Amino acid sequence: MAKIEDLKEEARKLLREGKIKYVIGYAAGTNGWMASPIFIKKPEDVEKLVWDPTCVHNLSRFLVDEKRRKEREKQPDKRPVGIFVKGCDSRAIVVLLQEKFIDRNDVYILGISCEKGGVVDEHKLARKLEGKKPKKIELGDKGQLVVTTANRKAEFPVEELLAERCLECRANFPVISDIMSGEKIKRTVEKPFGSVEKMERMPKEERWRFWKEQLDKCIRCYACRSVCPMCYCDECVVDSINLAVSADTTAEEKADKVKWIQRSAESSENFVYHFVRAIHLAGRCIDCGECERACPLDIPVRFLNKKLEREAKELFGYEVGFDPAQPSLVSSFRDDDPEDFIR
Amino acid sequence: MEKILEKRSLQSWMKKLDSWTIYAPRKDGSERWNYGIAQNDSVGLNFTVTTLPAKALVFPQREVFLEFLKTVEESQETLKVNEVIPGKNPVVIFGVRPCDARAVSLLDRVFSGDFVDPYYWARRKQTVLVGLACDTPPWENCFCLSTEGSPHSEEGLDVLLTDLGDKYFVKTLTENGEKLVNLAKGLFKEPRLEDKKKAKAVHAEAEKKIVRRVKRAKKDLAAKLKGLFDSPLWDDESMSCIRCGICTYLCPSCHCFDINDEVDSVSPLRGKRVRTWDNCQFPDFTMHSSGHNPRPDKASRLRQRLFHKFQYFVEIYDKTMCTGCGRCISLCPVGIDIINVLDKVSDHGS
Repeated sequence: MAKIEDLKEEARKLLREGKIKYVIGYAAGTNGWMASPIFIKKPEDVEKLVWDPTCVHNLSRFLVDEKRRKEREKQPDKRPVGIFVKGCDSRAIVVLLQEKFIDRNDVYILGISCEKGGVVDEHKLARKLEGKKPKKIELGDKGQLVVTTANRKAEFPVEELLAERCLECRANFPVISDIMSGEKIKRTVEKPFGSVEKMERMPKEERWRFWKEQLDKCIRCYACRSVCPMCYCDECVVDSINLAVSADTTAEEKADKVKWIQRSAESSENFVYHFVRAIHLAGRCIDCGECERACPLDIPVRFLNKKLEREAKELFGYEVGFDPAQPSLVSSFRDDDPEDFIR
Repeated sequence: MEKILEKRSLQSWMKKLDSWTIYAPRKDGSERWNYGIAQNDSVGLNFTVTTLPAKALVFPQREVFLEFLKTVEESQETLKVNEVIPGKNPVVIFGVRPCDARAVSLLDRVFSGDFVDPYYWARRKQTVLVGLACDTPPWENCFCLSTEGSPHSEEGLDVLLTDLGDKYFVKTLTENGEKLVNLAKGLFKEPRLEDKKKAKAVHAEAEKKIVRRVKRAKKDLAAKLKGLFDSPLWDDESMSCIRCGICTYLCPSCHCFDINDEVDSVSPLRGKRVRTWDNCQFPDFTMHSSGHNPRPDKASRLRQRLFHKFQYFVEIYDKTMCTGCGRCISLCPVGIDIINVLDKVSDHGS
């Protein structure tokens, strides 16, 4: 199990020397077993940082906020921010770099390897504990997960508690970092698209029924979009205001704006929202699974993105989030790209 | 009145209420509970808490106000407008947690007063709430005792059930509640003294199990907040906010809405005027058509949520617009904890 003492020391040093603005990391949560994001400005607060299988969040999402903040400020502090990343999170940073949304000098990456672990799935954990509240969750030295509750300590094989995306992960350790802790080792993943394949085996009608039922639950709180580091558009098509207005925009222009989607959380509108989002993430989603985790109604949104991830791989041999210099999927083509789907 | 109902008779009671549409908590293929129409399957009340509060049934996320149709005949334009007020559909909601019922009574205040909302009341007047007292806090972040509530609060409910093991202690609280019980008289028994004692014991025990508390009380907190409008506290506390709508959409007492015309056809012009939930945590909530946004950042939006609940609402109604259900804490994807933020407000400058 990776230890973050080295990373904490580095963070402390960087803050003390004023080389970074602040550090985005994980601290113990106050609302339950899960860690919470923390923003550390003072070297003495570095002590609050934690690392365990409850550090589920993809913190790279906060780099989007940082960029916006800098844009708003008259004299922005241009120092980099320190950020703790797991393997999946580091791939999100790669995409942000590849798309030139951020610059490499904007971030100081403190990488942690999940090694043969990963992050815990809330529902799997709840089922195992049958109502008992976990106090502590650690990765044991034999690669098992050790869960401590009020009156007992239980051990589980990782497969029984880890999030599905961790079990299909192909980058257990950061692919980009300034300093890294832990070993560059991986769990063997036999079926990286196993969950999608299961979904695909459903007969068409059944699949339609499944998705209709799932998407009908959507209340459009947009947590899936909000938690996503790739959903950084200034104007999102689903917002009630999706037309950039200026002092010169006329009343007619405002009235004539095309309304692509209604606010009503109904089948048709929910389908538009989720499919627009899925398409916009094709070749960009790095499968951190945050969208699905954040959903308060348990809509399995991750499948939509995973399906497109596979299409990109199978059709174009494109794998996302490993190389910042690689041209992005939708802005590049090769002469031998398949085109038999064009009819 | 007070009665006893055997748990196995709950189903028979529901069957007697055949002129009502009955909602009860159920798991729909996922791990979470939500209200669904109870059919003839075995609906028990062995749920924890519904993700969507009872609010969603009395103040639905989408509501049609009116339908419009514009026709042109021989260059004569006619506009037909048809107001849509919810029709007759009496509803009983089983399994309402006391915090969620108290929240409905807050909504009642909001939708009354100078502007009585006909759409809300058409639904509300035909809704009967059958509550279930919490014997153990359904969420570890429950804090109803800090919001003038309790796990067995009766406010807003028509009937309160208390789980006594194999039976429910039934207390009717309104005429509507009595009506429900009287329709199935044969199923209910008179409580014995020990049943009453046991119900009281369950209530007292439940209060002890609620561990989370807000430091300051209503008035005191409201006064303290007032002085902190311009504090840097909001910047710090909102750093991890991702501006999603979970805390507000799933809040049992948040009630902001938007009204839009949904055009189904341009020629002839046909469509509906629709009310949908809106959300102060979305950046476009306060966006002016000029492009100016008076609440431009996460800090001002988090501050708004807390001020509305613990300051403005207290000034207007002498109530906090929070019933301590704990949803916003337990479901926040980034662990923003309203109790912590309120306590930081309390401690600020001291």
